Amino acid sequence: MDINWIKILGLIVTVVMAFFTGALYGGLARVVTARIQNRFGPPALQNLFDIIKLYSKKTSINHGWMQHLGPVWAITASTTTLLFIPILRDSTFFTNLSFDGDLIFLMYIMVFGSLGMALGAGQTGNPNSAIGVSRGLSQLVGYKVPFILSLVALMIQFQTTNLNDLLAVQDSFIHWNIFQSPFAFLAGILAFLGMMGYKPFDIVFAPAEIASGPPSEFGSKYLGMMLTSRSIFTFAKLVLFVNIFFGGADNIFILLIKTFLLYMIPLLIGIVNPRFRTEQAVRFFWGFPTAFGIIAVILAAW
Amino acid sequence: MTSITGILGITFGAALLTFLLHHLVPKLRNIVAILAVGATGYIAWQMPIDSYMTHFTIGSFDIIWGNSEYSKLFALLISVLGFFALIYSHDFMAGKKRLGYYYMNFLIAIGSMYGIVYSQDLISLFFFWEIMTWSSFLLIIYCCKDSQQVGLKYFIFSAIGAYSILIALVLIYANLGSVTFIKVFAQFGSMSFEVQLSSVILLLIGFGVKSAIMPLHVWAPKSYAISPSPFTAVFSGALSKMGVFGIGIVLFKLASQGGYYIYVKEILAWIGGITALLATFYAVFQTDAKKLLAYSSVGQLGYIVVGLAIGTPLSIMAALFLAVLHAAFKGALFLATGAVYHRTGTTDMNEVSGLVRKMPYTFLTALMGIIAVSGVPPLGGFAGKWMLYQSLIESDHYFLVIVVFASSTAAFLYLYRYIFSLFLGQEEKEFEDVKEVSWLMRIPMLTLVIFTLVVGVAPGLLLEPISGAMGYLGVGATQFETTVIWNAWGNKIDMFTIMNSIGILFGIAFVFITVKGFKSGRYVTTKDIHTSGEVPTENENLTYAVDFYKPFERALGWVLKPSVDKFYNKIATNLEHAFDHLRYIYTGNGQTYAMYVVIFLVILIAFSELIFGVKL
Amino acid sequence: MNISPVHFIAVPLLAAFLIPIIGRFSKEFVKVIPGIVLLYLSYVAISLFPVALKTPIVEVLAGWKPPFGISLVYGPLAAYLTALITLMGFVIWVYSYKFIIREPIEKYYMLFMLLITGSTGIILTGDIFNMFVFLEITAIAAYSLTAFLRDKDGAEAAFKYLLIGSFASSFFLLAVMLLYASTGTLNLAEITSKIDSVAMSTRILILILFLVGLGIEAELFPLNGWAPDAYSQAPSPIGAIFGGIVVKAAIYALMRLVFLLFNFSEVFHFLLIMGIITMIVAEMSAMKQQQIKRMLAFSSIGQMGLVIIAFSVGTSDSVQAALFQMFNHAVIKALLFFAAGYLVFHSGSKKISALDGLGRDKPLTSFFFALGALAIIGLPPFAGFWSKLYILISVADAGLITAVVLVLIASVIEAVYYLRVVSRLYFNKESAQETEVRRTPLTGLLAMGVLALVIIVVGIYPDYIWNLLKPAAEELVNKAEYIRIALLK
Repeated sequence: MDINWIKILGLIVTVVMAFFTGALYGGLARVVTARIQNRFGPPALQNLFDIIKLYSKKTSINHGWMQHLGPVWAITASTTTLLFIPILRDSTFFTNLSFDGDLIFLMYIMVFGSLGMALGAGQTGNPNSAIGVSRGLSQLVGYKVPFILSLVALMIQFQTTNLNDLLAVQDSFIHWNIFQSPFAFLAGILAFLGMMGYKPFDIVFAPAEIASGPPSEFGSKYLGMMLTSRSIFTFAKLVLFVNIFFGGADNIFILLIKTFLLYMIPLLIGIVNPRFRTEQAVRFFWGFPTAFGIIAVILAAW
Repeated sequence: MTSITGILGITFGAALLTFLLHHLVPKLRNIVAILAVGATGYIAWQMPIDSYMTHFTIGSFDIIWGNSEYSKLFALLISVLGFFALIYSHDFMAGKKRLGYYYMNFLIAIGSMYGIVYSQDLISLFFFWEIMTWSSFLLIIYCCKDSQQVGLKYFIFSAIGAYSILIALVLIYANLGSVTFIKVFAQFGSMSFEVQLSSVILLLIGFGVKSAIMPLHVWAPKSYAISPSPFTAVFSGALSKMGVFGIGIVLFKLASQGGYYIYVKEILAWIGGITALLATFYAVFQTDAKKLLAYSSVGQLGYIVVGLAIGTPLSIMAALFLAVLHAAFKGALFLATGAVYHRTGTTDMNEVSGLVRKMPYTFLTALMGIIAVSGVPPLGGFAGKWMLYQSLIESDHYFLVIVVFASSTAAFLYLYRYIFSLFLGQEEKEFEDVKEVSWLMRIPMLTLVIFTLVVGVAPGLLLEPISGAMGYLGVGATQFETTVIWNAWGNKIDMFTIMNSIGILFGIAFVFITVKGFKSGRYVTTKDIHTSGEVPTENENLTYAVDFYKPFERALGWVLKPSVDKFYNKIATNLEHAFDHLRYIYTGNGQTYAMYVVIFLVILIAFSELIFGVKL
Repeated sequence: MNISPVHFIAVPLLAAFLIPIIGRFSKEFVKVIPGIVLLYLSYVAISLFPVALKTPIVEVLAGWKPPFGISLVYGPLAAYLTALITLMGFVIWVYSYKFIIREPIEKYYMLFMLLITGSTGIILTGDIFNMFVFLEITAIAAYSLTAFLRDKDGAEAAFKYLLIGSFASSFFLLAVMLLYASTGTLNLAEITSKIDSVAMSTRILILILFLVGLGIEAELFPLNGWAPDAYSQAPSPIGAIFGGIVVKAAIYALMRLVFLLFNFSEVFHFLLIMGIITMIVAEMSAMKQQQIKRMLAFSSIGQMGLVIIAFSVGTSDSVQAALFQMFNHAVIKALLFFAAGYLVFHSGSKKISALDGLGRDKPLTSFFFALGALAIIGLPPFAGFWSKLYILISVADAGLITAVVLVLIASVIEAVYYLRVVSRLYFNKESAQETEVRRTPLTGLLAMGVLALVIIVVGIYPDYIWNLLKPAAEELVNKAEYIRIALLK
């Protein structure tokens, strides 16, 4: 088997870029939140500093192998997710592995990381972690329903399950799926709110209540790796949604603008909203978002 | 003896032999059982494809046994799973009572399953079907509390199913004069519409009972929960697949000959989908690990039925793939649960906790098992799920795919609960001295999950025999290679790339996190955790297990309220009351009986015109 | 001494007379005599069987040629039923050998011999009045055996049996008288050839009388009130005799008369419906029984309902299936009564609830009971499976799908109450109190073992018996053939 070094370079660049962008967005989010709350907030690169700091710290305890593997698992899943998403349209460099997997694969691999983290958190024996996981998984079942509905709507509309094909059909502004299939977009974006885990859907981590839930027993390198994973995963999700609904991006600059704007949606909604309880969140997702999804599927099938 | 007669002879002979050896040379008993199933597995593997291998007549019935690729697939599934379950039994059952009874029924069940898959006529299929029913019934009542009621419920449902098959058999026989597969397959379409449709429905009910399709599933959870764990593995892995086996034949060999085919398929697919969804929801709220897995099995069989009922090449491939895989991962999970039971004496998830460091291999089995069940790549479950979704979307079952997907996502809930409650969480004092099970128990479990890994990376290895089996059903397989599968739109999934990607990334991250600050790690107990400054005492209960998914339960609301089980129980109770009243027709009073005689005579004379057409 | 069908009646009758006399000298010898007699009769039955299949034997007693003399007709059907009765009788004797330990032993065996005489007589006789006589012999022996234990319940049961039985006798006798009055003969074949000249209304009246008279013995609903009491109060081997022998003879008589004299579709429809009702009511009543032998009794009634259903479909196939079911029921029900007898004995209570966990203490007896239960439900690979299958197929062939469904519903109910007992037997009772260890005697186990073996062998290879039954079924269906045989034409 001949190894395509360009491609491997592309993979590495993608991952590094995703990490920095994700971390930066996280920092910007804190700044934006602070400004809205009339504070100054930390510098935009604070998240990056945090991660570097965490990696430089020593760990003196562990709770066993599963806890050890949890962050590894999470970062594997988030990176794999990223690698199976084409970053730019029509780019040989950033196609990555997207032809070997498809949307269904992405849906599953996206859960893989949470599962690993949940298992790692489980071994620590902290009840808060378990409570967080219980909430997180319940919420997952909630938002997956509108999400899959919107994806199915698109799949049947364009007779493909591959992301590259979806990109190919969105060749001009008016052909963006947000316009071609608005109901699918509505369902998808509402599911996206849950996926991002900002308010009102942040009961999983709920810092004041269950001490940030699943990661509460993780520190130093473990937490560092989890945050790294989260940054990468955030970027992966953003790119995925940009690819699905906003016609992808022709170059990095456009990609950054689109992803940042998309990132602002859950953030801004979150800032002005209180937190849903788990059952409220689940019911919310099974209400309007699901209805939109069903309309989208009916329209697409028609 | 490389023939079907050989296989049946060996298993049933070994069944008797184990029973005798139990009283004479107990040590040989287990070995005989293991060897018998191993040998039959080898024979099944080597046996040539010949649909007319053994032929004889009993009474006026033609009995034909033959081997097709479809039979072979299921026969191998039975033998491999049975083989591992029996190896596992050696240590698991050690020291228990009535082992002769156990092994005999175990082998009879296995033999009857062989009989079912090799039958080429309905009579012998029904014959072995019933043997399977009673042998598994006897294993269910082998031990434990409630065994009587649970066993009885299992038997009643099985009997209803079996008798549905029997009515269909009788109907077909009355119409065609023969029930050999050759004749029935060829001439099924020539019967009248009513007969065709009713026999298809009756057969589907019959096979549906065994594959626990809602609303005929109520026997399954408790029966799975109380049967001995090695048998539960076979029960859920192989025995329930006999229903799948039958549904495949009914759908593609019989129902496909009539105009109602499309409707039957659609209805069945929806029933399967709803089964999958509801069973998953029920599984989420179970507190007994085996019951949880039982509901999970019901749900998984729902997927398989969906796949079969959709009836496109890709969906059938998915169904058969999942059928084989489900045997492996659910078998492994039941064995792992059995191992926990073996060491702790309970499978109550509210009680057991934190076994991961005491039983690492069992944990590993359970971990890989749940990954496979959840359908997360790279283990085998993913390939099956992928094919299923693709086929559903391609064949325009948009809402069904949502139902299936929702249930598949909800499956994470119970899977996490299963592994968290048993293995993770607080390490309790009560289970301080728990030890890992012996290698004889570990090897079967681990082999089964390794199989799911291999098949996950190279699904083509399993799809190869499955495409042969599909040839028997008259459906061509779709495009696949060893590691790559395509859907009808030309989109592909390459398991090799996925595996590489996951493997490499995992390796890098793992080495990084392990090497960095390697020496500094010190293990701390699960009491030594962040609790906002309060130090938990030794006896403080920090386990979060009871009502694990209470919020989700609230979210579901009324969905879980109506219980078909309660409905059946109500019917049963009312019937029993009615019967109880009825039996007082027999008052025990001689005068009443004499009166009956007189009344009967009077009625006959008075209504003789009505009854006999002649006026007295 | 040449063997001839007469021996079936003469030998046990002689033995019945001799037993009380010999009993004065040796109790042990009394116990052996029935065995010798039945062994001999079995030998006769088996060696005459092929002869009967080729050319039916007609024995004329008292030197008068039929239709004037009293004749015995030994065709394939009679050969089959006598073989069944004598062989079952022998097994029952083996079982009784150690089971009946209560005095007066010689009376037990005397009545047992009379019962055999009566039952074989019913089957062999070609004369309707003789049939009445044999029916009476059987009935009187049965009454006495019901009360054999001489307790209050037994006496009560026997009284009920006697009360209802006397109805049976009087109606039967009345019917015989009417027949004689209208045809002028008592020979069955002769009556058959003349019956068409009898006025329809008389014929139906006779039929009704026969139906009531024989229906009582054949346990037709609602005439079977006596049966549960009699079965459960009599000693266990007697239960087996009732289920395996007496009822079979009565069903034979009923069906023989119906096929010969009242061969109209209305009659068959009526019997079909009565059979279904009998079966369903009996199975439902069995469901909640507290006593195991009472449960078995109801199950017997239900099985008879099934046999009647199969007979009344009226085709050669269905009759063959019915005969097969009679065979299986005789064997299986005997096994169940045998096993139940010792289970009751060991648990010390007639109640089903007392059987918990006996599977461990009494593995063999419990095993036999479980096997019998599985077999009677109709599960393969046991004998009951094939006969049920044949019955269902023949019923479906006649287009009676509803009847098929009803039979199967009854089977489900049957499964429930039998398996309730089986699961009790194998229920792991935590603390089994140490009862005194009483062993099931070897003869009991031997009898049960033989029956179990038969059940399994027939279950795996039903062909032999099935093929034997073909001529028997044809004989019953074909009345011209019977007339030809019986009148020596």
